[in-house]
Amino acid sequence: MPGIGIPPLQANLPPIVRRNYGRWISHEHPRPGVIKHDSETGESCYTVRAGMPPNARVSAPTVRKLCDLADEFTEGYFRITQRNSCEFVGVPENRIDELMGRLADLGFPVGGTNRSLHNTVCCTGYLHCHLAATDPAAIMKALSEMLLKEYQNDGLPAKLKISGSGCINNCGESSTADIGIIGVHRDLPPIKVDKLKGCELPLVISVCPVGAIRPKGPGMIEIDAKRCIHCPACSVACGALAPIGSPMGDGVAVVVGGKAANTGAGPAMAKVVVPYLPNNPPYWPEVTATVRKIVDAWCAHARKDERIGDWISRIGWEKFFERTGLPVSMKIVDDYDARAMEYARSNVRFRW
Amino acid sequence: MELDTIKLCCAKCGFTIEQYSATELAEVPRKAKRYKYLLQKSSICPACLASGRLKEVRVTRESATAPPGGPVQPSAAAPVAHERHPEAPTPMLDALERGRWPSHVTELRQTRYPLQMYEQSLQRRTTQWDYGGYVSLPGVAAGVLVRASARPEITKGSNFLRIMDPCGNFFKTDKLRRLCEIAEKYAYGMLHLLSTGGDLEMLGIPTENLRPAVAEIMAIGFDVGSTGDDYRTSEECIGPAQCDLALYDTLGFREAWYKRFLDDVQYPRFPHKVKCKFAGCPNDCVRGGQKSDFFVCGVFRDLPAIDQSRVKTWVDQGGDITTVCTRCPGGCLSFNNGDGLRIDGDSCLRCMYCVNKVPGVRPGGDRGVAILVGGKMRGKFGPMLGKVVVPFLKAQPPDYKEVFDLLERMTEVYDEHARKKERVGDFLLRIGLSEFLRLAGVPVSARVVSQPRINLYYHWEPEEIKDERTAVQEVGPPQAGV
Repeated sequence: MPGIGIPPLQANLPPIVRRNYGRWISHEHPRPGVIKHDSETGESCYTVRAGMPPNARVSAPTVRKLCDLADEFTEGYFRITQRNSCEFVGVPENRIDELMGRLADLGFPVGGTNRSLHNTVCCTGYLHCHLAATDPAAIMKALSEMLLKEYQNDGLPAKLKISGSGCINNCGESSTADIGIIGVHRDLPPIKVDKLKGCELPLVISVCPVGAIRPKGPGMIEIDAKRCIHCPACSVACGALAPIGSPMGDGVAVVVGGKAANTGAGPAMAKVVVPYLPNNPPYWPEVTATVRKIVDAWCAHARKDERIGDWISRIGWEKFFERTGLPVSMKIVDDYDARAMEYARSNVRFRW
Repeated sequence: MELDTIKLCCAKCGFTIEQYSATELAEVPRKAKRYKYLLQKSSICPACLASGRLKEVRVTRESATAPPGGPVQPSAAAPVAHERHPEAPTPMLDALERGRWPSHVTELRQTRYPLQMYEQSLQRRTTQWDYGGYVSLPGVAAGVLVRASARPEITKGSNFLRIMDPCGNFFKTDKLRRLCEIAEKYAYGMLHLLSTGGDLEMLGIPTENLRPAVAEIMAIGFDVGSTGDDYRTSEECIGPAQCDLALYDTLGFREAWYKRFLDDVQYPRFPHKVKCKFAGCPNDCVRGGQKSDFFVCGVFRDLPAIDQSRVKTWVDQGGDITTVCTRCPGGCLSFNNGDGLRIDGDSCLRCMYCVNKVPGVRPGGDRGVAILVGGKMRGKFGPMLGKVVVPFLKAQPPDYKEVFDLLERMTEVYDEHARKKERVGDFLLRIGLSEFLRLAGVPVSARVVSQPRINLYYHWEPEEIKDERTAVQEVGPPQAGV
C-alpha cells in the first residue's frame, strides 16, 4: 500500500524560519546555550539549546512540559538537533532569561553550543537491546554529570562531542565523536542447538567477518574460538547464536579523535586508545576517570580551535599517550585486514 | 477500455501487495524492474502468510474502483491493557536518578516501561533482552521492530514503531501532543526524540496494538518505515532553515528525496540497509561522511567571498585573525591592515574554517554537491569514511533529477552486485572503487583519489590496447629546456 511519507516541509517550520528561509547571513554565540542568527531582512532569531536525558527517551509528561514551553515562547514549535538537544527557535530576546529559568526549573541544563561539551548521544544499551555489552545511557549520565560545567560554559579549546554505543555495531555512532565509549564483548556466541533449525545457516556462516563459523555436519555449525572477534554479526543474523556476552566478559572500550567537519585535519574516525575497561554500574568510575584524563590533557595542551583529533594529529599518538598517562596496549595495533599495515609506522620522525 | 493499473496480488487471498499505473511501468525503469522481479519470485503474503508466486491483476479504467490502500482508517478497537509490573526495589536506578543532569530513569518512571528489566541488567551486568529483529504487518512492510525478553516473568517483550521525522526535525506542538496521546494509549507512553538514525521511535507497543497505533499515527500525518534492508530515514542538516552557511536547500532536497524514494524506504529489497544523509556544507553537521552509505555534501568551487570592511571591523573589535591564519589547514590565509585578508587560491581547501570563524567571509559561488559513498559504522571491515565518487554536481530544484538519477543508479549497482548483508562500504572495498565507477557510469577525476596508486597491478582489456606512438619524424629529437 502506498505510504504518505513525511509531513510537508512548510507545515512544521516556525514562522520566523519561514519568513527568513535561506536568507540568513551570519550567526554568533552571544552566551553559552544561546545562538543568534541574523537575516538579510534585518530580523534576528535567538535559539536556546537545552540538554536532554541520555538516550533522549522522554516520557509523554515531559514532552508535554516542553510543548508548553514551546507554546509559550516560540509560537508552538520546537526542534530536536542532530545530537538530540532540544532547541527553542525564535525566542524573543527579552524573554531568553525567563525561558532559561523555566528550563532550569524543569531540570534541563542550557548549554552545549560553541566551545563546550555538546549533548551526549548514545544507543539504547541495556534499556532495550539484546546485543548490549554495556549501558551507554548510564555512562552518558555519569559523564554529563561530571562535565556539567563544561556543558554550561564556553571554555574548552573547541567543541567536545561524546557518544556511547552498547556494542561494536556502533548504533550510538561513537566512532564519529571526539570521545567514544563502545561496549565490547569478550565471549563466544552461544550455540543453542534447539533453535538452530530456524536459522538460515549459509547466511550465518557468510556474515561472520572473519570466517570463524563453519558447518559441522548437516544442520550444525561450529565456532573457531581463535578467530572470533566477538562482534555480534552472527547474533544479529540468527537467534540461536544470541545473546552474546557475560557479566565478566563484557566491558567498555574508549575511542578518541573522531570528527566529521572538513576543517582542521579533515574528517576522521575515532581510534581505539583503551581496549577494555570493566563494567561497573551504576557510575562506571573507570570510564569517567579515563575520560577525565583525556579531557584534562586536551584542555591543557591543545591550541584554540583544535578538536581532540586535530590536537592529536599535530602532537602525534606517542605524545597523546604521554600527556594523558593512558597505558599503551598491544590491542591498539591494528592487525585486522590488509589495510592495517598502513597504520603501522614507516618513518622515524618520532616525537620524544 | 484502457489499461490503467497493474496489481500484484496474493494468489490465495487476493491481498494487493504492489500496484503500478500502466504509465509508470512503461516509463520508470526502476518500477518495471521491481515488477518483473516480484512476478518471478516466490513471495510470502503478509496477509495470509501463504507463499508462492504472485498473481497479476490488470485493472482497466472502466472497471477501476476506488484504489485499495491509502491511509488506513483509525481503528475503533480498544487499546489492550499493559502487563503490570510488581513493585520491587531498584537500588541501581535510584543511584542513576541522582545528580543535576536530567536522568533517563526519571523519564522511565513516568512511563509503563518494565523498570526491573533495566534494574536487573545493571545488577547482573548483562542485558536481559533477547533476540529481536524486524517484522512486517499486513500493509506495513517496514517500520516495526521486535525485541524479545530473556526474562518472561518481568515482561514478554516489546515492539517499537519507527516514525519518519519531519524535515529539519522541527515539531509543531499540537502534532507532538497527539503522538504523546498515541504513545500513552497504545505504548509505554514514551517517545524517543530522536534515535541516532534520525527517526522518532514509539516504544513498547503490544503486538495487538501495532495496527491501530500505525493507523492513528498515519491519521495525524506521520508515517512509519525505515527498518530492514531498505533506504533508512534520510537525515539532513538544518540547512537554509536556520543556517547562514547552507550551500543548497537540504530540507527541500530531503522532501524531494522522500517523494521519489518513499517506496524504497518502506519496502525492504536491498542486500543490506542503505543510509542517505544530506549536509549543506563541508562542516557536515549530520556526520554523513562517516555514517551514511550515500552522502550528499554541499560544496563550492569559487574561493570564499571576503567582505574586507566587515573583516577589518571584526579585527578592530578584537577578532583573533592570527589564530585563524595559522590554523587554516591549507595555510593559505594572510592578513595585514593594508591588503586585508588574502587567500592563496591554489592551496585553499574550501574547508569552511575561515568561513566559520571570521564574520565577513562567506562561502564562494558556483555551488553544487559532492557525493560520497560507503561511509559506515560497522560491517565486515569496521567503521569506514565515505569515499568521494562525484566531486561536483549541480543540485537543481525542485526535483533534483540529476542527483537522484545518479543515486538510483549507484543503488542499483549495489543491489545487483553486492552480497547479502554486505554494506555499501564493504562492497566498495571488495570490488574496488574503479569497478564501482565503471558500473555506475561515473567518469573518473583527480578529485576521487587522495593520491594515485603506487603499484602497477592493473588489468588491461584487449580493446584498450592500441597504437599510441606519435610519428618520430614530426617530433624530432628531444629539445633541452630554454
